Amino acid sequence: MASISFKNVSKRFGDNLALDNVSFEVKDNAFFCLFGPPLCGKSTILKIILGLIDPDEGEVLIDGRSVAGVAPAQRNIAMVFQNLALFPHMSAEQNVRFPLAERGVDPLEISNRVAEVAEKLNITHILSKPPSQLSGGERQRVAIARALVRDPNAYLMDDPISALDARLREQTRVELRRIQQELGKTLVYVTHDQEEAMSVADTMAIMEDGKIRQTGTPVDLYDSPNSTYVAKMLGSPAMNILPLDFAGKGKPISFSGNTPKTAISIGIRPEDLEIKLAKPSNGASVVNVEPLGSFTTLMLDTSGKQLLATLRGQTKIQTGDHVAIMVNPERAHFFDKSGAAAQAAG
Amino acid sequence: MQRTLLFETFRFSIIFLIIALTLVPTLWMVSMAFKPIQEWSASGGDLTWWPKNPTLDNFRFIFGESSSELIVALERGAGRPILASLLSATFGTLIAMVAGTTAAYGLSRFNSGRNLPLALIQLRLFPPMAVMIPVMIMWAFLGLTDTWWGLALIYGIVTLPFAFWLMKTFFDDMPREIEDAALVEGCSRFRVFLKITLPMMRPALASSALFVFILNWSDYLIALLLTTRDWVTIPVYMASLSSSMTGQLYGAKAALGLIAAIPPVVMGIAIQKHLVRGLTFGALKE
Repeated sequence: MASISFKNVSKRFGDNLALDNVSFEVKDNAFFCLFGPPLCGKSTILKIILGLIDPDEGEVLIDGRSVAGVAPAQRNIAMVFQNLALFPHMSAEQNVRFPLAERGVDPLEISNRVAEVAEKLNITHILSKPPSQLSGGERQRVAIARALVRDPNAYLMDDPISALDARLREQTRVELRRIQQELGKTLVYVTHDQEEAMSVADTMAIMEDGKIRQTGTPVDLYDSPNSTYVAKMLGSPAMNILPLDFAGKGKPISFSGNTPKTAISIGIRPEDLEIKLAKPSNGASVVNVEPLGSFTTLMLDTSGKQLLATLRGQTKIQTGDHVAIMVNPERAHFFDKSGAAAQAAG
Repeated sequence: MQRTLLFETFRFSIIFLIIALTLVPTLWMVSMAFKPIQEWSASGGDLTWWPKNPTLDNFRFIFGESSSELIVALERGAGRPILASLLSATFGTLIAMVAGTTAAYGLSRFNSGRNLPLALIQLRLFPPMAVMIPVMIMWAFLGLTDTWWGLALIYGIVTLPFAFWLMKTFFDDMPREIEDAALVEGCSRFRVFLKITLPMMRPALASSALFVFILNWSDYLIALLLTTRDWVTIPVYMASLSSSMTGQLYGAKAALGLIAAIPPVVMGIAIQKHLVRGLTFGALKE
């Protein structure tokens, strides 16, 4: 049980500013997800929590206490590394036993705990094998087992299931979510997959170039992104962002409502666009139709700008059709010159 | 088809030539070791590929007895030089490996002493002769001349850069996360080194040690300058194998050479299974 908080943490590697004044708080027992493109500083944050690297500036608190100068072994935090980092010269069982054996736990207790966690992760049958003889998925589960076997304050996972195929990944993330709730432990999870992040996180932080751009629940971030960056990072297909003069009365996107004064662009999620067949006048034309079963993605062209729209189920609209586009003012997002969200004017 | 056949013929003749260049001299040594003096000496005028009358005389001779009237028995047998070589090369290798491995680990992980790697390799840029004269004086002063431990010490120092550089490359290539994982799971830095790094580095340690051992084992110059009588090594002793009547004692040299070839070959075979295995195979996801 532990809360983790970062206060104005910065870290440089040579000339490269890996973390730039990062602050966030992970509540006790929360599933916290760090989400961002590769090399944006996610892994650096985990290493700082673990104590493998020290921040240049700022403070890291675990359970309200500063951990500056506390060795990794003393922090009692378990980690699943991105490349798994199994010990190649030990069998899977020895790998899983290692954290307990190093802490001098009673051998009988070790055996019980290993058996229990092996059962939970379904690796009992492969415990005697060395990592080199395991498949990617099995290695992944052994690495997760090694983290789960002891009773740490918090778990950290650095993109642990990225090597699995899509279906297994979906299963594993549900499983991880279940295990986290069962254990009632804080979990900090790093991923570059927005769907994964949104599906598992209680709270998520979206990162860019060493900065945290926005923190909140997945639904909050999805519904009210504070910048075009966050807006584009979440949701698939991504939000349509257009210059403001495309929307309004008599414009390609029919829209009636107030726009904030500072706004220069409008963002609309593909599922919020309302599409109707129309005469080839002021509307848009359909460039491409992707029927994906539960929904259909349309690519629309309006005066040279391309938009994506998703419709529930199937549609009769075909490539080459002309359509009128409307949007509910409540579902529209506005951004100012700097890309930050513009506040609606009254 | 024709072209392929021609190509294959060409390919195999090249391979055959290379093998012949490498192995025929060795074969010659092996065969000569078992020849009686009449067959290996030019005075016999009867050079043959295989010994006509195979004998162990050469081996008996270098260990102190002579069965041939032509050569007077040696005053000192080869037993002592073999011991000298074994002791000095083994302990020299030990010194180089222990110092080189720990230094390489420190530098690879903590990036301290950034100029040290270059400084170490610079030791090898000196012509050995330029360094050896001062060393002779120092060793004489310290009473290390003509002792196996004096020789082992200088071997350790001379081969340290090799051990260091080889091990540093291996440490640099080892993924940090494996050590990080052990740190997180409760190990101290030193324990990580003992429990995780060294066991993982076994193939690297084995191949580096073999390389260093061969360097030490085959040294001639240093032993020539630092030993005189009690602890001369195999190469130095071998050079002294000649007689006033027959000149160079090739048969005896060949016999000694055959014996000298045994330790590196045995070592090589012993560590072969470590050499073929990958360093971190299976530790990481691809």
